[in-house]
Amino acid sequence: MRGGGKGRFMSEFLMYLTNGIIMGVINAISAIGVSLIVGIMKVVNFAHGELYIFAGYFSYHLSTSLGVHPFLAIPLSVFFIFLLGILMERTLIRPTYGDEMYSLIITFVLSIVLQNAALLIFGPYPNKPPTLVSGATNLFGLFHYGNQRLLSFGISIGILLSIFYLIKRTWFGKSVRAISQDRGMASLVGVDHLRVNMISFGLGAGLAGAAGVIIAPIFPVTPTGSSAISLNAFVVVVLGGMGSLKGCVVGGLVLGILENLGAAYISTMYRHIFGFIVLILVLVFRPWGLFGQKTQ
Amino acid sequence: MDIKKIWIPLLFLILAIFPPFFLSQYWLHVMIISLFYVMMASSWNLIAGYTGQISFAHAAFSGVGAYVSGMLAVNLGVSPWLGILIGSAVAALLGLGLGYLCIRMGGIYLSLTTLGFSEILRIIITNEDKWTRGTMGLQVPGFFTDYSKANCYYLFLVVAVLFLIIIYCLIHSEMGLSFRAVLNDELAASSSGIDTIRVRVLAFTISSAMAGVAGGLYGHYLMLITPDIPTLGQMFLVLAMAVIGGMGSFVGPIVGSFALEILSEYIRIYGEYHVLIFGLVALGVARFAPEGMVGILSRRWRRRNLS
Repeated sequence: MRGGGKGRFMSEFLMYLTNGIIMGVINAISAIGVSLIVGIMKVVNFAHGELYIFAGYFSYHLSTSLGVHPFLAIPLSVFFIFLLGILMERTLIRPTYGDEMYSLIITFVLSIVLQNAALLIFGPYPNKPPTLVSGATNLFGLFHYGNQRLLSFGISIGILLSIFYLIKRTWFGKSVRAISQDRGMASLVGVDHLRVNMISFGLGAGLAGAAGVIIAPIFPVTPTGSSAISLNAFVVVVLGGMGSLKGCVVGGLVLGILENLGAAYISTMYRHIFGFIVLILVLVFRPWGLFGQKTQ
Repeated sequence: MDIKKIWIPLLFLILAIFPPFFLSQYWLHVMIISLFYVMMASSWNLIAGYTGQISFAHAAFSGVGAYVSGMLAVNLGVSPWLGILIGSAVAALLGLGLGYLCIRMGGIYLSLTTLGFSEILRIIITNEDKWTRGTMGLQVPGFFTDYSKANCYYLFLVVAVLFLIIIYCLIHSEMGLSFRAVLNDELAASSSGIDTIRVRVLAFTISSAMAGVAGGLYGHYLMLITPDIPTLGQMFLVLAMAVIGGMGSFVGPIVGSFALEILSEYIRIYGEYHVLIFGLVALGVARFAPEGMVGILSRRWRRRNLS
């Protein structure tokens, strides 16, 4: 009997851990979206969670209301959010460069506007786009795990690898890194920093969208859930270290695992509180984060 | 302050004595709520407008003030007058803690952490319904044994004016000078011997304490404290009032509070659209006229005087 209980505990624990890892990679994608923009422009996008939600609703309405195939609806939704990001940068964010305070105010107000717009357009009810695959696979011979979640995990890993490739290996990534190190120097050697800013903002928005469309078939999105999503990304960025990509991945995994184990063994209602506790602990003991530079 | 300048606020103060004599109960209520927002927006402006730190926990601190005072009154029978002081002290302590942790790391960290604090507080208040009555709201006693809106109006007026005097004295004191020095050029300020972090933390603590008092007054006036007080939606309203009125100016948040609160009574019929409208207006003002209504008006005034 004791052996049986232990086995059940183990398989449950592993299931929560797997949930945590999958949430962790999705956290990482969402957090890189914030981190990229902070690193380059010193702008925190408070409307991040709303972009995530909008992408979820777009993919729902494209596939359910308009009948577009989910495989097409997903990249299309992310592309819309990318365009929305570019539009935001051009019209609202660009004039605030160098004025941290106004960029914070503008993105916060924008988050309220988008949240209320989402409530009016999509309604307050959670919506779930169709899943791409069905069924479940037996993992480690211990528990059955939904194929949709496994697929989401695969897609997330693919996105993470592409981002690392983009930032570390391409010319665009080189100019991004150059600008985050020294904006003046980068423009002296011929980097068009306005263009890089614009595309990076679009990319940051697109990553919020990517996280949103990946999560939506698993956990349906609601307009009121957006601040928790932004907060989650901010905790990961601070934990990993502002502007660090590696930090986003490690921080995302840590938070994902912590939240899922905490929700399972301590309290479901306080799921979001674990993130805030992590944030405070980081600020007390290691304010520059796990992989950030200790400059201040 | 020279003699000429003191006449205008004094005139307004004298005029402010009369509304209870001719306003209906409904509009008197609108005036009281406007005065609450004057306290909130002006004290938020003290940190945002004068030291450039954007806190998203101002509504949360007002919630701390309201709930601490409310729970003390309900569970221990503490008088609201004492409760509000204790609530404000708790808000100030939380502000001191958050400010100390974040401000040394820079403004972005304060904004992120205060946003988190605000969300967490809302979750705790909603879930711990044994103590807070959750979304049902906490029924608390009022200030006066015989309920009268006129008394409440004078109470709010006195506290709001007191706050404005404190804020005015602060920004015109030596400390205010260092506030502005920090805002204009942090490096220059710190190299001329101003402890920039201490100045900011102090401003943040004072403004949090003021939010605590305002929240406590609001709760005991309505006699019902709900989790709507410490929400980001409420935070947005306060921010919009300061931004639309004019951040970094003394009069701006006062004008913004009255303008938006009175306006919202007229557009309330549009329901959910009303937050969206305020949002779009605030966005337009922040983008095209960062000095707000007061900035636009005073520029026009100056131009007319010149020509």
